[in-house]
Amino acid sequence: MRLTLAWRWTELRMLLPLLLLVPLGFVVTHVAEAGVLEPGPLTLAFGYVALMLVAHAILVLSGHRGDQLLLPLVGTIGGAGLVILNRLAPDVEPTQAFGLQLDVAATQLAWFAVGLVAMLAVAIGLRDDGLLRHYKYTWAAVGIGLLVLTAFLGYEVNGARLWLDLGPIAIQPGEFIKIILVVFIAGYLADNRALLTGASLRIGPIRVPPLPYLLPMLALFGLVMLIAVRQNDLGQALLLFGIFLTMLFVATGRRSYVLIGLLLFVAGSFAAYKLFPHVAARVDIWIDPFADPTNKGFQPVRGLFALARGGLFGEGLGQGLPQSIPYVHTDFIFAAVAEELGLVGAFALLALFLAFVFRGLRIAMLARDEFSALLAVGLTASLALQTLIIVAGNLKLVPLTGITLPFVSYGGSSVLASFVMVGLLLNVSHRTARAVDREQGLKDR
Amino acid sequence: MIATNVRRLAVYLLLAFVVVSGGLGWWQILDAPALNARAENPQVIAARRSAMRGTIFDAKGALLASSAVIDGVSRRTYTDAAFSHLIGYASLRFGTTGVERAYDDILTGRADPNPLRDLMNDILNRRPEPKDLTLTIDKRLQDFAAAQLGDAIGAVVAIDPRTGAILAMTSIPTFDATPISELPDPAGPAMARITGRPGNPLVDRARQGRYVPGSIMKVLTAAAALDAGAITAHTTFPDQPQQETDGFVVNGFTIREHDLRPVTPALWSLSPALQVSSNIFFAHVGLELGAQRFLEYAHRFGFCAGGSIGSGARALPVSASYVTAETDGDCGPFTDDVELASASFGQARVSVTPIQMALIAATIANDGVMPALHAVRDVRVHAADAAGGPSSAVLEESPSGDGSRVISVDAARVTRSAMVDAVEGELGRLYAGQGSVQLYGTGSDVHTAGKTGTAQRGEGQAPHSWFIGFAPAQGDAQPSIAVAVLIEGGGSGAGRAAPIGGAVMAEWLRLAGGG
Amino acid sequence: MSGDLLRVLLLGLQLGFVAVLYLILFGFARSLLRDLRSAEAQQLASRVGIGRLSVLESPDDEPPAGTTIALGPINSLGRNVNNTIYVEDDFASANHAMLTFRGRSWFIEDQGSTNGTYVNGHRIDRPVALSFGDELMIGRVRMRLER
Repeated sequence: MRLTLAWRWTELRMLLPLLLLVPLGFVVTHVAEAGVLEPGPLTLAFGYVALMLVAHAILVLSGHRGDQLLLPLVGTIGGAGLVILNRLAPDVEPTQAFGLQLDVAATQLAWFAVGLVAMLAVAIGLRDDGLLRHYKYTWAAVGIGLLVLTAFLGYEVNGARLWLDLGPIAIQPGEFIKIILVVFIAGYLADNRALLTGASLRIGPIRVPPLPYLLPMLALFGLVMLIAVRQNDLGQALLLFGIFLTMLFVATGRRSYVLIGLLLFVAGSFAAYKLFPHVAARVDIWIDPFADPTNKGFQPVRGLFALARGGLFGEGLGQGLPQSIPYVHTDFIFAAVAEELGLVGAFALLALFLAFVFRGLRIAMLARDEFSALLAVGLTASLALQTLIIVAGNLKLVPLTGITLPFVSYGGSSVLASFVMVGLLLNVSHRTARAVDREQGLKDR
Repeated sequence: MIATNVRRLAVYLLLAFVVVSGGLGWWQILDAPALNARAENPQVIAARRSAMRGTIFDAKGALLASSAVIDGVSRRTYTDAAFSHLIGYASLRFGTTGVERAYDDILTGRADPNPLRDLMNDILNRRPEPKDLTLTIDKRLQDFAAAQLGDAIGAVVAIDPRTGAILAMTSIPTFDATPISELPDPAGPAMARITGRPGNPLVDRARQGRYVPGSIMKVLTAAAALDAGAITAHTTFPDQPQQETDGFVVNGFTIREHDLRPVTPALWSLSPALQVSSNIFFAHVGLELGAQRFLEYAHRFGFCAGGSIGSGARALPVSASYVTAETDGDCGPFTDDVELASASFGQARVSVTPIQMALIAATIANDGVMPALHAVRDVRVHAADAAGGPSSAVLEESPSGDGSRVISVDAARVTRSAMVDAVEGELGRLYAGQGSVQLYGTGSDVHTAGKTGTAQRGEGQAPHSWFIGFAPAQGDAQPSIAVAVLIEGGGSGAGRAAPIGGAVMAEWLRLAGGG
Repeated sequence: MSGDLLRVLLLGLQLGFVAVLYLILFGFARSLLRDLRSAEAQQLASRVGIGRLSVLESPDDEPPAGTTIALGPINSLGRNVNNTIYVEDDFASANHAMLTFRGRSWFIEDQGSTNGTYVNGHRIDRPVALSFGDELMIGRVRMRLER
């Protein structure tokens, strides 16, 4: 058997500009802060680009045939994010882990390394979809277990119970639950499609989804409301339900199901608003943060001020006041980008996310089987919705939530989970490419 | 089929990203100016906390307000409480008021008067450089006016009728702005002490106080009726002499004359009527003019809407004056002829600010052209040593806004001569019970024009004492000062306000003449 | 003035950073568009030789109106969910019709349905050869055979 090594030239070509982008961002930050024209420390910047190039090389060596734009897209978004985190690092408390004291940029870089390893493992390691598809109920059990564990054993940070303590590090199970949910729903919809296309129920003039859709929909809805209320995590609830509705829409093509689901969510949220004071408080802050700008509305108001300071071209990297926003490195990193790089820079970041989303959807469209297609849709929708929810939260379009901006916000669980999702997307596109190759081979023969 | 749905999903997600980008545009471009100006903005707070503010000087270079940064905190010191209402305060705790507020961006250096330099500073992120201001006010006249009021609650406004420059503007009681502009912590009790004193010291009576004008309103009635052609200098009303004693019945309501003291009623034209301040005569004039035209002239003179000192973004707001009941920020209609007749001599629902009345005097003095008010003369490069006086480098002169013609030259001249008579005429002196005009003239060979007002309030409340006037007023002389004096509950206009008005005008002519 | 020089240089670097970001973005946009075109070309190529059913009218929305269904060589249509093409309509029979590609053309054959199968408005009583553009009616569901 002859081993031919197909180099991933597009991937390399799109990764190389990072050699300019990330170090340049570090230099700008240093010059702006020190007021001296000198490059400053660039270890983290080059370390980051080196990590990306190593990941690229491993993909090449393993003969990976997956999409070549995903890694560069993620690399650019993450690179811009690292520049911003590095700029924020002096104003954010450093982290302590394994006896080391690292600033947020260095910690984030370490997590990028862990994430890339996980991504490669998933992208290369999964030979077929069996592990995911056939054990979907096991995965579902694991997911629910994590959820319950968090709900009862987790500890609260800022009023939301999101964290599980695992000795030296703490993780946010929510970040992984969404992956498990995507895998489970993709498996469920793909396996039961014959059943699912069955007759829809009618209650009077209203068409209701058939029971096999309806039951998991209601179960999930209940679960989601539980998360929203019990863990005070509106963002996570909205995200999980959004992922489910998106996948349901793609599997059935019925806009009405999505509409019913959304109505259900709105009604549920309204009920929660009326019943639970802590939910009501969050919504009230959202509606008018300026009612209490020095206390409850402090964070969102500071975020809006940062946006306004940015204007069209921004205050300039290193010259704004993003540290005036509490939790800027997690919840409000997008506002920090918008302040320092302006509308121009923030728009570029959004466009990069959109490009990533289109790429993910393309992988879904090209996929050869329904499970893979739905898996790719779910993963892409997850990252897309996550981005939209937190960015819209920063912009006061929806209530502010504590979910992260993928690849940009500081946070180990988020980075790790996001890279696992990229790995799965790479895996799907790899298997599609292999299938196409086999068909081509058959024809050629 | 999945491919089709995925394609649709792509469109929906694209739309969602477009909406989010729209939100970004809203906050970063459309709503940004409003957000950037908000006092809670940390940028504004940080700038105010540590940034140097420019110095404020009077017209002659005397120091009025200056800043020093001590331990990273900017503290402001004010030298003269007579200016506290106009200049206001720049407090870390209580925000900014007055000129400090209107010129905040200039004083802190956040904006440069030159738009090009402003843009460059912004692009290059230069540190803001504070700028200094000089006012149009001479501290000596301001202090003189404040001293004239003494402890009396009231206000004095003096304007240069030719340019609209404020020459003096003081409100009593006043307060010391320094303690509330120092460190935030002691500022609280300092503010509490000020607000705890009687008479609302924080209120600028010149700009924000609204009072019944009484007889000084007759100047406006006369000027409007002359300009509209409703009366001439010689118009008389045959029923008027009898009505002076019997009363003037309008719509079944009898308007009665005030106490004419030794004066015997006669058939009066404008000048004698103004000298004895005949309510009956001016009720006739107002009815002759009619409600429609009365309201129209009121608008022209600046009534019925908020006014300003200065223009554009750097204007100091002035409360609106009204001739009728306020309706949606405008003057409502007169309910009947009784209200019109009463408003014509300054009663009914007329309410005015001292600045508005000073503007009426200035307009008559300026031959019918109402000048545009301003209190800041120019913006200058920050002087390193405030005690050494202002820098000579002027960055921007306040635009001397064009006045607007309100009434004709002729109407203004006839009104002016009647106002000169009201100060110096035989009948006026007889009515006032004074043997001499010295009390509220300038006391020299310079003639003055003026009108007193004794504004009746409710039962048991002493009337407000008013005076408006200008000088020099003889012949073709160009008046160089117009004043309005108000003393709350001060009693008769001739007794309290007029002497102060005369003294202020005399002091100004002395200062201007002496250099 | 050296402060200003530094500021100008810093401004240049900052603009450079955003410029590089946009250059990368445009690179991605170009790659995305190129792949989109080749993907469309691939799909067009893969369609040749096989037919599709375009759903014109479907009162109960299964199959949904406006969608197209890719056809295999043998397709069964009917109200039974085990059919290749499931038609949810009160006027369709469980096993309504067979749509098959034999040799060079498409044939439709009624499977003894209650309400019959219509081709271009005519009820059929034996297998009928179809050409692209013909309209089929199963119950109240109207579909068009397309290339």
